[in-house]
Amino acid sequence: MATDTKTAVEGFGQVSRTVGAVFRYVLLAATLVGIVALTVLLVFVANDAVRPLTADPGWHLTFFGTLVVPTLGLGGYLAVRDPESLWIGGMTVGLAVVSLLFAGGVAMIFVDIVTPVVWFAYVVALAAPSALVVGLHRSSVEPPYLLRLAVGVVAYYVSLLGLPGPVGGLAGVPQVVPSLANAVQSLPVLPVDWMLLLVSFSVLPAAVLAAYARSVAGGRAGLLVGVVALAVVALAALAGPAIGITTVPAVVLASVVVLPTAGYVGGVAATRPERRVGLLLPAVVVGGTLLGAVVVEAAGFAGPQSWVDWQFLTSAHSRNAVDAGLYPAIGGSILLMVTVALLSFPLGVGAAVYLEEYAPDNRLTRFIDVNISNLAGVPSVVYGLLGLGVFVRYLGSPSGTVLVGGATLALLILPIVIISSREAIRSVPDDMRQASYGMGATRWQTVKNVVLPRSFPGILTGTILALGRAIGETAPLIMIGAPDVLFSLPTELSSKVSAMPLQVFAWASLYAGPDFYEKAVPAGVVVLVTVLLAMNSIAIVLRNRYQSEQ
Amino acid sequence: MTDHTDSDDDTRRPDGGTADPTADEMMIETDVTDGLSASDTHGAAETLVEARNVDVYYNDVQALRDITLEIPEKRVTAMIGPSGCGKSTFLRCINRMNDLIDAARVEGELLLRGKNVYDDDVDPVALRRRVGMVFQKPNPFPKSIYDNVAYGLDIQGKEGDYDQIVEESLKRAALWDEVKDQLHTSGLDLSGGQQQRLCIARAIAPDPEVLLMDEPASALDPVATSKIEDLIDDLAEEYTVVIVTHNMQQAARISDKTAVFLTGGELVEFGDTEQVFQNPDSDRVEDYITGKFG
Repeated sequence: MATDTKTAVEGFGQVSRTVGAVFRYVLLAATLVGIVALTVLLVFVANDAVRPLTADPGWHLTFFGTLVVPTLGLGGYLAVRDPESLWIGGMTVGLAVVSLLFAGGVAMIFVDIVTPVVWFAYVVALAAPSALVVGLHRSSVEPPYLLRLAVGVVAYYVSLLGLPGPVGGLAGVPQVVPSLANAVQSLPVLPVDWMLLLVSFSVLPAAVLAAYARSVAGGRAGLLVGVVALAVVALAALAGPAIGITTVPAVVLASVVVLPTAGYVGGVAATRPERRVGLLLPAVVVGGTLLGAVVVEAAGFAGPQSWVDWQFLTSAHSRNAVDAGLYPAIGGSILLMVTVALLSFPLGVGAAVYLEEYAPDNRLTRFIDVNISNLAGVPSVVYGLLGLGVFVRYLGSPSGTVLVGGATLALLILPIVIISSREAIRSVPDDMRQASYGMGATRWQTVKNVVLPRSFPGILTGTILALGRAIGETAPLIMIGAPDVLFSLPTELSSKVSAMPLQVFAWASLYAGPDFYEKAVPAGVVVLVTVLLAMNSIAIVLRNRYQSEQ
Repeated sequence: MTDHTDSDDDTRRPDGGTADPTADEMMIETDVTDGLSASDTHGAAETLVEARNVDVYYNDVQALRDITLEIPEKRVTAMIGPSGCGKSTFLRCINRMNDLIDAARVEGELLLRGKNVYDDDVDPVALRRRVGMVFQKPNPFPKSIYDNVAYGLDIQGKEGDYDQIVEESLKRAALWDEVKDQLHTSGLDLSGGQQQRLCIARAIAPDPEVLLMDEPASALDPVATSKIEDLIDDLAEEYTVVIVTHNMQQAARISDKTAVFLTGGELVEFGDTEQVFQNPDSDRVEDYITGKFG
């Protein structure tokens, strides 16, 4: 016995891994098929749309030298030495790019859809009753809740709709008191557009920056940052015309692009000085682009003859493929998106909170549960039929309007919003609820103070991804009678609307011809996909931050 | 069986075979000196919480059987027993946290200052505002330290100088010196022991009458545990503390009264801690305390 155990073991034999290895590589292949197919398609379409090969070789060489090489060099260096600062640099560039896209949309709204005067009037009309409600809430008298609620409802009604307003209109009573929104618009003397935007739009990012600076460096720094931010916006409005940007887009650019990016950069510099080196990356990207542009201009190298150009983004459809543009469709998609978000977010989150926090566990709840999952799988064309049947035929609203389209798309993504919001709410640890109830909180206080703040990033992520689905839908819009081609932007909720996928579909079907296939369709697809990817990247960044906080 | 391994070193204490020498020393010190003197100096106390024939069922399973006991004011009362014996269930009866579980049903009477908390006219939310609770796992909200402590004041709409109440509560929870410069950073950035003291500060900020603690130190290391124990000792000067613990040494160290629950949801023994540990009436309790089962 003893000698047996002392004999040296010569080997334990072999166990075959062949099946496992085959299985593993089959799985890898399955993973790659989809990604590779999609990448090839996107590269193919992008090549058709942007046509990089039509540029001078000198153009490519110049930008390769001034932009690509320095960026890759610095990126590689940072990736090895300090990956965290590479991440910060990448975030800055990404933030600037995404906010630039966003600024384009916002500028479009202020230039062509909601004029600054109307916007300002509605901001005032919303702010005044809000101030009243907050004042009542904070006052030492503190009237009973129902009274405050009634006062609030009346205040908002009068401020937005006037007296007796639409309710009186139904009964045939003439308008006695104009709404605050209308009163502001009819003021004889109003400041110019950019000043109105400065006080009603730019104050928001400036206030966010000021609050952030205050939390980092105290009250005085916060005030200073807020004032400087507003000064930057004002300066942009004054200096913009000199370089060919009119005042309103200049204010939007400064508020939506410059302030958030500068805030992020300043925040990194102030709170994480050891990562400052990452901020070189955006500097290299911007510097390289500018340097390349100057060199190309000086040397006379021609850029690519891209179909996606300023003209494509700013003009309407034309029978001539070269002149065709996407502008009304982009504006329509933006308006639809706003409508869908405003309708589906409160409904979806409300349903999710009810089902997760309030609903008793009974048959009705389980029935609703199962059917929400089923609704998420109903084909979009069926939702289009529903929209046509309910909104157009039954409620008699005109077909193909922003409101009908937005409501139909909102119904379409509502189940997805509900499901993803429920996931986010369910991921709030039960410990937190117990702690809140244990402190003597009511259910409402627990939901408001603990559950919603904690699950909000998750809810937002799910909603953005769902909106991404809505922006790409064509079938429901066709069903509700949205026009394929529109030559101007919709200006109100009851005007006809077109959308990017619908316009691309029209080019590919109604105007099918080699010109449109080669030019307008790929360019439209590239714009649509860019917007979608930007939205998804926002969702992904939010989700990553959310997960790292937990 | 897992219970047995969990409390292995505790239950072997009388044989001197404990695995943790520091805990053993602390035990001897507090048990012999503080423990005895505390119950001597306090004298007789009024009953604050009284249970009369309380039964609790989860669906058809009975979790507590006919519990009758009286918890004195401004004392530390410990509930010990093996896992699943119902000691946490009893604790959660006092502030009606069991109401949150659909399957739970409570019978019998549970009086707080002579009022049955299960009467129809008692609002469980109002009740919980008078009974603070600290949980097994530290569970601060993902808010700032200040907002965590002020949470109870805020939701209960209390008047007063919040800054001062927050400072006082943190001082009483022996956390002020460690966090006074970072009141506006997240409570989740603290260590586990600090988080639990933050939860205690949060629980005492609205000035409750009773403080319920459900194994408050079981997720903490020995150093953090001893800090929490010192803290409980101080809190007993102003609050009535009811603590559930798995750790019998801990119960012996910090409590004035001890209730022993055994499997099946029965209250087998209830009396002064000293007497329960040194001279229990029931053989089953003696077996449990000396580690013959559990």
